[in-house]
Amino acid sequence: MTAVTLETTAAADRRPGARGLLRATLRVHRSALWFWVLLVAVGTGVLLWTYGPGADAAWAEYRSRGCLRDRPLPGCDMAGDAAGLYHSGVALAGGLIGIVPFLTAAWAGAALIGRELESGTARLAWTQSVSPARWLAAKLAAPAALLVAGMAVLTLLHRLVFGSDSSLRETIGASDWYRSPAFEANGTLATAYALLGLAVGALAGLLLRRAVPALGTAVLALGALTFVLGDLRPYLWPVRTLTGTDYPEWTGMVVDDGALTSTGARVSDPICVDDARCLAEHDIVGYYRDFHPASHFWPLHLVETGIVLALAALAVLVSFRLLNRRTARAV
Amino acid sequence: MTETAIEAAGLGMRFGRRGKPALDGCSFRIPAGGVCAVVGPNGAGKSTLLSLAAGLTRPTAGTLTVLGRSPGEVRARVGYVAQDKPLYPQLTVAETLRWGRELNTGRWDEQVAERVVAEGELDPYAKIRTLSGGQRTRVALALALGKRPELLLLDEPMADLDPLARHQLTGTLMADAAEHGTTVVMSSHVVAELEGSCDHLLLLGAGRVRLAGPLDDVLAAHRLVTARADASLDPHTVVESRTTGRGLTALIRPEGPLDPVWQDTVPTLEELVLAHLRAPQAPALRLDDVQGAAV
Repeated sequence: MTAVTLETTAAADRRPGARGLLRATLRVHRSALWFWVLLVAVGTGVLLWTYGPGADAAWAEYRSRGCLRDRPLPGCDMAGDAAGLYHSGVALAGGLIGIVPFLTAAWAGAALIGRELESGTARLAWTQSVSPARWLAAKLAAPAALLVAGMAVLTLLHRLVFGSDSSLRETIGASDWYRSPAFEANGTLATAYALLGLAVGALAGLLLRRAVPALGTAVLALGALTFVLGDLRPYLWPVRTLTGTDYPEWTGMVVDDGALTSTGARVSDPICVDDARCLAEHDIVGYYRDFHPASHFWPLHLVETGIVLALAALAVLVSFRLLNRRTARAV
Repeated sequence: MTETAIEAAGLGMRFGRRGKPALDGCSFRIPAGGVCAVVGPNGAGKSTLLSLAAGLTRPTAGTLTVLGRSPGEVRARVGYVAQDKPLYPQLTVAETLRWGRELNTGRWDEQVAERVVAEGELDPYAKIRTLSGGQRTRVALALALGKRPELLLLDEPMADLDPLARHQLTGTLMADAAEHGTTVVMSSHVVAELEGSCDHLLLLGAGRVRLAGPLDDVLAAHRLVTARADASLDPHTVVESRTTGRGLTALIRPEGPLDPVWQDTVPTLEELVLAHLRAPQAPALRLDDVQGAAV
């Protein structure tokens, strides 16, 4: 009898293992897990196809149309069928990577947190041997790990495709390095935004405690953040400036341009073109252009990644505070 | 060994800033090792009290200790079944039990959980969303009993069950609780379903404690008397009195010897509860203080 009592007490002090908690979390969100696996598989498939057969076919078509000669035939600046397919593949993969943060925010707000609070299954979990804080930690950690893993595969493949086909891209006018979604998909930013989606969705779910409003709020909030950060993007690193008596060449991510007066002041271009009287009247002696060269990709990218991750961390912190304030804490 | 399952002092809970408090200045003590009925009309604060005891919400006033600790510290030792029996509709019965095992490592009793499910002849591979209300209640109860709680909190456990299922589940529950010495605290507004199965009573009304104590003591402290309409009930405390023609029927708390011409009986639980519900102004009675209860 004493032995039994002792055993029970020892068992009572043992907290459920993190592994069991993670397994339980994944079991509940199994369909989302499969969806993610499927999405990563489709993205991987599309990217591998564009990298291999897609690019090969586009080049072969380009060659067969005689566009690789010294003097390309007319029509070489028009994409052929294979080039069009290649372009679609790149766009589809970029689109998939770009939409992941929004899908994550919607799912996290609705299915991960909102529905659990709405239907009471969260309370069911909190009355097992799991504190609300550990429950939320598992809810965030499991999807975060899967998002990071999946996005790592997609972004690495995207870099591979993007890096290997710059000449092909130029010939058929596909995305530049600084345009969305290529800018995000070529580095850590896509993953950071996916994690921000997760955090924003979880916070919306905890705040609203209902699936559908949390879904809408999470997507709108992430949309607003993405919009603001997108606007701030060019200002996250010092620009380079070109000046000249004519407009400097258009290169890289152009941030600002305009005219220069004899005092060196920047003014908006009065659009005199070559009218000397007009130029003299406005005291225009040259033109400037602020831009980011391709070498600014990583500085810009990493600063924005840092900001996005800080925002995600803030949302997570607020979520835990909120949950702890509402429920009885295990002191 | 804790002698007290739940103890509250000045416990208050208010939702929102301006709302009426769901619980207001509740002080009571529920001893360990029995079945306590938390009774009261809808909106009396029963669910609020149980979810506070389960550590799901935080009181806005007063203190509440569960098994001698704060509710958040004893999650592993407390089982809770919510009124609406939330479960994951996409899981099967077997998966739900596995989920329970994973969240209660070191405590989980597979046999108990499986027995509760098997007694209901549930298909372990049936999805929760296909189950009837009674079957869901059974699965919810299996989850709660599977973690081998020392204290089991049940919020209107049988509310949506037909009489047969109610009878079967009550049997399962009471047998298990008796076998393991589990303290059961269960709320209900159907008094009949509690009669004969509980040994401690907590009657709530409008967020306050109306009656608290061992059921036998509480019943024994009351008399249902029939007397002539002009009889004086002084000095006894009158809970409720009704005049019918020349006669008078009253539920009183005797404060001395009763007039021998009156007919008096010990009320049933139902009579006691109904009289108190009909007479919200009747004074509260607490027979559960630590000295009195430690007989």
